[in-house]
Amino acid sequence: MTTIEKAPSQALAEPPRGRLAALAPYTSVLRIVGGVLTLVGAFLPWATFVLNDGPYPEGATLEFFSEPFGVSGFRLHLVLLGLASIVVALVPVAAKGRIVRGFGWGVIAISIVNGLYITVEGGGFGAITASDGTAAFGAFVALVGGVVLVVGATAGGIDPPTHWDLKLGRVVEWLILLVAYAIVLLLVAAVLTSGGQGGAANPFSGAVFLSFLGAVGGAIAGLHASGLLGWIARMSERHRIYSVIVLLLAALALPLTSAGTEYWMTVAANIGVYAATAIGLNIVVGLAGLLDLGYVAFLGIGAFVAANLSGAAASVVGIELPFPLVLVIAAVVAGCFGAVVGSPTLRVRGDYLAIVTLAFGEIFVRSAQNNIGGLTGGSNSIPNIPPVELFGKGFNESVTIGALNLPSGVLYYVLIVLIVAAVMWVFGNLKNSRLGRAWIAIREDEDAARAMGIRTGPIKILAFLIGAMLAGFAGAFFAHKLGTASYESFRFLESVTLLAAVILGGMGTIPGAVLGASVLFVLPEKLREFADYRLLLFGLALVLIMRFRPQGLVPDAHRRAELAPESEAPPDHPDDGPAGGTTVKAAAT
Amino acid sequence: MSGRHARPDMNGTGNESDVTTAIPMVAGGSASGSTILQASGVTMQFGGLRALNDVSFGLSEGEIIGLIGPNGAGKTTLFNCLTGLYAPTSGAVSLRGNPMPQDPARVTEQGVARTFQNIRLFPSMTAAENVMVGRHVRMKQSPLSSLLHGPSFRRSEAEAAERTEKLLAFVGLSQFAGELARNLPYGDQRRLEIARALATDPAVLLLDEPTAGMNAQETEATRQLIFAIRDLGISVVVIEHDTKFIFTLCDRVLVLVQGELLVEGSPDEVRGDPRVVEAYLGAPPDEVDAQIHAAEDEGENHR
Repeated sequence: MTTIEKAPSQALAEPPRGRLAALAPYTSVLRIVGGVLTLVGAFLPWATFVLNDGPYPEGATLEFFSEPFGVSGFRLHLVLLGLASIVVALVPVAAKGRIVRGFGWGVIAISIVNGLYITVEGGGFGAITASDGTAAFGAFVALVGGVVLVVGATAGGIDPPTHWDLKLGRVVEWLILLVAYAIVLLLVAAVLTSGGQGGAANPFSGAVFLSFLGAVGGAIAGLHASGLLGWIARMSERHRIYSVIVLLLAALALPLTSAGTEYWMTVAANIGVYAATAIGLNIVVGLAGLLDLGYVAFLGIGAFVAANLSGAAASVVGIELPFPLVLVIAAVVAGCFGAVVGSPTLRVRGDYLAIVTLAFGEIFVRSAQNNIGGLTGGSNSIPNIPPVELFGKGFNESVTIGALNLPSGVLYYVLIVLIVAAVMWVFGNLKNSRLGRAWIAIREDEDAARAMGIRTGPIKILAFLIGAMLAGFAGAFFAHKLGTASYESFRFLESVTLLAAVILGGMGTIPGAVLGASVLFVLPEKLREFADYRLLLFGLALVLIMRFRPQGLVPDAHRRAELAPESEAPPDHPDDGPAGGTTVKAAAT
Repeated sequence: MSGRHARPDMNGTGNESDVTTAIPMVAGGSASGSTILQASGVTMQFGGLRALNDVSFGLSEGEIIGLIGPNGAGKTTLFNCLTGLYAPTSGAVSLRGNPMPQDPARVTEQGVARTFQNIRLFPSMTAAENVMVGRHVRMKQSPLSSLLHGPSFRRSEAEAAERTEKLLAFVGLSQFAGELARNLPYGDQRRLEIARALATDPAVLLLDEPTAGMNAQETEATRQLIFAIRDLGISVVVIEHDTKFIFTLCDRVLVLVQGELLVEGSPDEVRGDPRVVEAYLGAPPDEVDAQIHAAEDEGENHR
C-alpha cells in the first residue's frame, strides 16, 4: 500500500481547554482506562431482575453469566467501542483525541439510553440494586468509562480530522467504493430495522433503536476523525457517475436485506415520499430562500389529482388514466398552483411571505375538508384508490423472481426509489445552472441579485412552480400507495415537519433533505413505545441537533471548503479588519 | 497576486474590446461617441427631505468621473437613481440617448453595473460562483436547458466559467476562486465585487467607495485596477471620500453638497475652488472621520 500523507490541515487544532489542560500528561492512560471501564461495564450485569415486560433484550440481567462471553446487542457495541478506543490509544495514528472522543460519546449514549430505560421500566433503582444486596452496576461503570474516554480525549487536544491524499488505481477505487456502499446499505437496513417493529410484542424496540443509533453515531464520528470517511467521499467525488449508479443499485437492493419485509418496505416508501417532497421544498427554501409554511398542500394537490383520475368509486371525475400520465398531470396541476402561490412573492418578502404561504396551506386544508367541488371527498376522504398497475402487474402484489420471494410493497418501494432519483436529478441539475445560481443569489442578497441583472420576479415564481411540481409528483404516488387521499394527511404540522427536515438535514443539499426526511419520519415511528414522552423526546432531539449542528446534518459549505485548493494558506478572516490604513471605516454589514 | 498590477488581457487573445462587444447596442446609441450616460435635472425627494436637487451631468465613453461631497450629500442616492433602484421624483437619466429603465435588472442588461458602499457579495457562494452570477444577464440558457444539461448548456457554462476565470485573474483573485466570498480578506471582497460587476459586460461601471477600509497599497492597487478597467473602454463613476485618490484617478470631478451639484471640473479646478474647500475639504480631519461614519449609517437607511 502507498503511504498515507497528511496534508496541511486548514483548521487549527483546538488546544485543551480550562481545567482539562492539567490532565494533558495522562491522556493515554485516561483513554486506556476509559476503554477498560467500558469493557468491564459491558460484561457486568445491568439489571438485577427480569423486567416487567419480560427479559430485557441481550441478557442484561444477573443471569447474564449463564452464557459466558455470549455478547450481543448493546453489549457487543460497547465491547467494540471500548476495544477500538484502547487500540487507538496505543497505536500511533493522527487525530487520536477526536477519534476517541467520538467513541466516548457513543459509549455515553449507549449507557444512558439502556441504563435509564432499565431503571424506569424496572420501577426505579430496584432494577439495579436488589433488596438482597445484589447490585447491577453495568450501566454506571460503562457511563464512567465513556466520560473518562471523552475527558481523556479532550485533555490531549482535539486535532482536525486527518486528511488522506491517497489515490489508487481506478479499479481498486471502484472496488473500495463498492464495498463502502454495500456497508452503507447494510447499515441503513440495520438502523431501519433495529429494535424491530415495536408495539406490544416488542416493548424494548425504542430503547434498542436509540442505543444502536448512539453506537453508530459514535463509530461514524470516530471514523470521520480518522479521515476514512472524507477519503471515501473524495473518492466518490472522483468517480461521480459510477457512485451514482452504485448508490441507486444499493437503494434498489434494500429489499434483499433484513429490511425486506412488507412492513419495512412500507416505512421506506413513506420515507421516500417525504424525501422527494422535502427535496422539492429544498428548492424553494434551501436554494431560493423563500420561506414556505404551506408546502404540503402541493403534495395534497398531487394526491387528490391522482385520486380523481384513478377510477376510484368516490371520485367525481370518474375517469381512469394510466399511472405515468397521472404523474405528469398531478405535477402540472400542482405546479400551476405553485405559480399562483408564488406570485405574491413579487411584493412580499421574508416573514410576510411565510404568512401568505401559511394562509394558502390553510385554505387548501379547509377546502379539502369541506369537499370543495366534490373533488376531495371531505371528511370521508377518497377511499379505495386502486393500486398502480403497470404491465398487468398490480404494485401491491408480492414478486417472485426465480427462487427469490419478495414481499408485497417491494414494487412500490422500487417505484419511489426511481421517483426520488428523478427528483434528485432535477434538483442537482437545476442547482448547478444559471437558474440555480440565480436562486442562490436571491437567497443571499436579493437587492444585489437584482443589481446583477437577475429578474427576481419570474425566477422566484419558477422556484415555487418547480418545487410544487416535484411535490405533486410525490403526491400522486402517495395516493396510490396509501389507497386513500384524505385532507388529514396535509395539515399544517406536515408542512412544518417538512420544513424542519430541510433545515435539519442541511439547506440546499440533496443528502440533507433525504436524511432530514428519514430522521423526522422514522424517529416518531421508532419512539412510539415511549407513548406520552414521544413528542417530547422528538422535540428534544430537534433542539439538540439545532444547538450542536445549526448548519444541518449535511451542510453545503463543507463540501465546498473541501473542494477548495488545499495547498493555499487559509485567507485572513475578514473580521480581522483592514490592516492599518488611515481612513478606517468598518464595513456596515 | 501577480495579475493585480498587470495590464488586462481578459479574453486571452489580445482583443481588448471583447468586453464591450457583447453588450447589445441600443439604437441611435454610441454613434456620437461622446456621451454615454446622461443625467438631466435629477431630483429625488424622500418625504420632506430633498436628497437630490436638479443634478445634471454627462459621462463620456472611456471617462473616469469622481463624485465627492460631505456625508449625506446624496452621492449614493444619485447612484441609486442611475441604476434604477430609485425612480427620480423629477428629471431623467438616459443611457446612449435612451431613457433608463426603472428596474435594476434591466439597467444591468442595458450595460450599467455597480458595486455597493457596504460590500454586498453573495457570502455563501464561492468567489467564482459570485462572478458566474454576474454572467447571468449574458448567458443564453433557458430553464429547460438548465434542467436537461444538453450540449448548448455545457457550451454556455464553459463560456461563463472561462470568462469567470479571466475576470478573477484580471482583479488578481485567481487563487481564491474556490473560497467562499465571506472568507475573503476585506480588500479582496471589494475586488471580487468589481469582478462580479465586470462579468455583466458593462459599458458604465459605478463604484461606491471602492477603497473604503483599504490601506495605502491596496488603494494604489485599486487605482491601477480602475485604470485598467477604463482601458477596456468602460466608463467609470467613482464615489470616494479619499480626495487624494479621486484627484489622481479621475478625468473630471463632481462635488455634491446637500443634494446640489456645487462644482464640476478637472481635479485641479476642483481642488482650487474655495467653495469646495469650505464645504468639504476645509473640515478638520477628525470631523471628516466622524462624518464618514454618519454617512455610512445614512447610506444603510436609504437602501
